[in-house]
Amino acid sequence: MWYNTGVDLLTTSVATVESEGEPYTLVELVGEADVTNSDALRDVLDAEVAKEPRTLIIDLSGLRFMDSSALHVILRANRAMDRLGGVLSLAGPREPVAKMLRLTAADQLVPVYPTVSDASAG
Amino acid sequence: MPPGLHQVPRRPVSVTLARRPGRPARAPRRNSVADSPVQFPEPASPGLSTRPADDAAYLAYRSDLSSVRALVLSRARQAGLPEGRASDLVLAVSEVAANTLRHTGSAGTLAVWHDADEIVCEVRDAGIITDPRVGQVKPGLDAPGGHGLWLVNQVCDRVEITSGAGGTTVRMHMTLRRPEAAG
Repeated sequence: MWYNTGVDLLTTSVATVESEGEPYTLVELVGEADVTNSDALRDVLDAEVAKEPRTLIIDLSGLRFMDSSALHVILRANRAMDRLGGVLSLAGPREPVAKMLRLTAADQLVPVYPTVSDASAG
Repeated sequence: MPPGLHQVPRRPVSVTLARRPGRPARAPRRNSVADSPVQFPEPASPGLSTRPADDAAYLAYRSDLSSVRALVLSRARQAGLPEGRASDLVLAVSEVAANTLRHTGSAGTLAVWHDADEIVCEVRDAGIITDPRVGQVKPGLDAPGGHGLWLVNQVCDRVEITSGAGGTTVRMHMTLRRPEAAG
């Protein structure tokens, strides 16, 4: 694409968390996720999904905004996790993001939890 | 390229979407061209009977959608739109502006204005929409695209789309006074 990617708008950080139960992969998104950085987000999620974790949690609590491009990338990762027998879940969406998940019924496909610890407890 | 966005149609497409039941269409606000200080190209948009208000805020954007969202949010708050509906309008405008980036190689223009009754955001770009029903049918969640305009129709009180050889204009309206609070 011809435009600059909005990498400054969105910060992603990835950690493997050793919890009491199963370890899980945690991807934290901070900022604004839109069409200008959805390719970068896809690359991050693809790389983590390829490691075949049992559980991948995306922490949305730092996300001020998410558009349909970012949603598609998350749903794509969800399908890939399904195929690999793992579970992707979302944690802590603020109201604008939560509303978008409800409107699109994405929250019927992907489990959404209030916090990361709720998500890790399943 | 998604279905519906391809070659130039012979005649402009003009549709009005998302008029909520029970909310009558308002008479369009008319502005005199003669006393307008805004140099807005005419005809503003085929199929739209009004032009942006004289005191509209304008922003030309390419990839800086964050600026687009910030302008919409600040104007929506100034206009007194409740926070949740302001977020809805931000989402709608951002989705339409994202289509500019996806489907055109040029900049788009945002205009925002309000009066006592409603706030309006108008996005214009060089893209062409040939499907008059665009955004009216919910795409499957597996679909690679098409959620943008559908979301716009879900969250806005009224949406007008006109598209022709000169480009596409999408106007998103949000009522400032809820019907139950009016009068």
